[in-house]
Amino acid sequence: MPKSLQVSRTLAAALLLSTTLTAAAIAQDFNWKAHEGQTVTFLANNNPWATKVLEHKAEFEELTGITLKVDSYQEQQMRQRMMTVMNARSDEFDVFMTLPSREGAQFAAAGWYEDLKPHAEKDASPDYDYAGLSPALLEAATFDGELTGMPLNIEGPLLYYRTDLFEKCGIDAPAKLEDLTAISAKLKDCAPDVTPFATRGLKPALPYTFSAFLHNMGGSYMKDGKSNLCSAESKAAIGLYASLLKDFGPPGAVNYSFYQLTSLYREGKSAMSFQSSNEFSSIMEGDARLNDTAIVPLPEGAGGSHPTAIGWALAVSKFSSNPDAAWYFVQWASGPDMQAKLALEGIAPPRNSVAGDPAYQAWLAEKPVRQAWQKALGHLADAGTSEVGYPIIQNPESREYIGQAVNAVLLGTSTVDEACAAADEQLNTLIERE
Amino acid sequence: MSKSISLRGQMAAMSAPSVIFTVGMIAFPFFYTIWLSFQTMSATGTIRYTGAANYVRMVSDDQFWNGLTITAALYFLSLVMQLICGTALALLLFRAKKLPGIVRSLFISPFMMPPVVAGMMWLVILDPSLGAANYILTSFGLPPSEWLASPGFVVPTLALIDTWQWTPYVALIVLGGLQSLPPSVYEAAEIDGASKFKTLYRITLPLLLPTLVTAAVLRSVDLLRFFDLIYITTQGGPANASSTLNIYGFRTGFEFFQLGYASALMVTLSVIVFGAVLVLNRLRTAVAW
Repeated sequence: MPKSLQVSRTLAAALLLSTTLTAAAIAQDFNWKAHEGQTVTFLANNNPWATKVLEHKAEFEELTGITLKVDSYQEQQMRQRMMTVMNARSDEFDVFMTLPSREGAQFAAAGWYEDLKPHAEKDASPDYDYAGLSPALLEAATFDGELTGMPLNIEGPLLYYRTDLFEKCGIDAPAKLEDLTAISAKLKDCAPDVTPFATRGLKPALPYTFSAFLHNMGGSYMKDGKSNLCSAESKAAIGLYASLLKDFGPPGAVNYSFYQLTSLYREGKSAMSFQSSNEFSSIMEGDARLNDTAIVPLPEGAGGSHPTAIGWALAVSKFSSNPDAAWYFVQWASGPDMQAKLALEGIAPPRNSVAGDPAYQAWLAEKPVRQAWQKALGHLADAGTSEVGYPIIQNPESREYIGQAVNAVLLGTSTVDEACAAADEQLNTLIERE
Repeated sequence: MSKSISLRGQMAAMSAPSVIFTVGMIAFPFFYTIWLSFQTMSATGTIRYTGAANYVRMVSDDQFWNGLTITAALYFLSLVMQLICGTALALLLFRAKKLPGIVRSLFISPFMMPPVVAGMMWLVILDPSLGAANYILTSFGLPPSEWLASPGFVVPTLALIDTWQWTPYVALIVLGGLQSLPPSVYEAAEIDGASKFKTLYRITLPLLLPTLVTAAVLRSVDLLRFFDLIYITTQGGPANASSTLNIYGFRTGFEFFQLGYASALMVTLSVIVFGAVLVLNRLRTAVAW
């Protein structure tokens, strides 16, 4: 584990302990109406989490007396607006959604996040269960000892596969990552009308799924401060990922992101689909895949099992004119009560206590596939890494070069050696610039 | 005299706020972008003056030249197709005077659709596995295509989608031009026994040239800034095969947070757009009758 991660893990643990201890002390003083009459503006990413939470907006306003103004956009447009407002150091919004694995280091270095640690220590509801929050997600949201956002969900890519086709073709559940090639080949012969394997091929989107291949095969993005895509393990990961898509993937896989993957699998046109846990409810829409799907984390490779586990977080802007009231919205929206409600809508909770909630357990018990989904998510929470792309401030740009390397091999315009060498050169320039 | 000056002064005073506001809204972002193009903004938001460094970087940036090439290819391909199809549609609408209103409305409806909606619609239709386009091709025994997922075919496919959407707009402009052509010229041609084909090529099209150039100017501004359709359908891919200058500039600025370099790219694109408009305006003057 990189030293910086070890340090931040220790800091996250310390934060957990300190906030838990202080929670009892402040419990008696807490008053949800402390900021009655004030207004909080929320910059939202129009994703399932925000959509579901905002259905309860009136409850928040009634509970606190705070008026909640919502400014909602699609993900990239939200970032665009956020950048504009933050660069102007404006207080136009108080709370915003952020993806720490992507932009956390960058926004933290720019000083755009309010440190939530003091708020959590001094002004948290007695019901706010810090101890239950996933340590991995808290760690991912902690930069230089500052807690930049409260975890909202846990997500990561999982392998969805068709049990009926596996049974028909006499194939066992995949045990090793390297087995995927042989399994795909068997499926291609046995069920020629179905795409054997599908995952993301779209350049900016694929690092999310590729990272799990890289880590499971023992590869790493960086070594000794340099890009490491040309190590034997990393090259094997690029080769396997690209060849699975090229030889067994859907036509046009190079443009595939979550939308196409979900449609293809739901329609019964792919036998294996390695894609986001967040797509679970969309995949199960119409119930066509409810009884013939199994869900597992990506099988372990030569390097073990290191699934990608990330989550959205709710942050308070450093330029907010009202951070205390903003924190009230954050703790309401990321609290255990709300997460218990969202869990029943298929939004995986980042708290163990919520995952053990009787209503949620009853919902899971209704269908085996739901239990498989939750079990896979449990593995993500326990063993996951949030490293998607390079652990540098310019993480978003690093994803571009990873995507280019995989795309070049997938399209057959470069060999793995050529693609990784080109990517390493660009990535080393990026690392040096930092 | 003094009364009229006073009236003029009052009118100027009353309209001044809106004029200042409008000019400010146009001029400030433009000059701010030019200023920003001479700065380098780090990922953490600090800005420093670096002179022409962003423009120097552009010259040796393969992605910039790739973006420029794709922008030019998409521009010429789309413009030519839209002018040809738009003129043909206008001639059809002009001659078929008894065409029911609903049919006319259907013909012109695509350009009233937001490009994002059109992009989503075509994304579904052209999906190589699930889309209707390949279903139709294979139903006729033709090989399926990868459409937007093929590096060699993505630009023509985008040009086709844009042509589907904006041909009616060009057709409406040309239709206006057709309706203003002097009938006496056609009467003379008829008396001289000119065929319909000759009338079209010797009279209609030459007289329509100023209108066609006007349509070209209007479409040029949009085509050189081609963005939303690409962003929705391919995000510049596969690889960088549809990464126009505008897409590259947007991603550089808002995804990679290099606002200085992105501004330099956008200033360059603006110069290209202004240049194209100037050339086409001169052409319009030259062909005016």
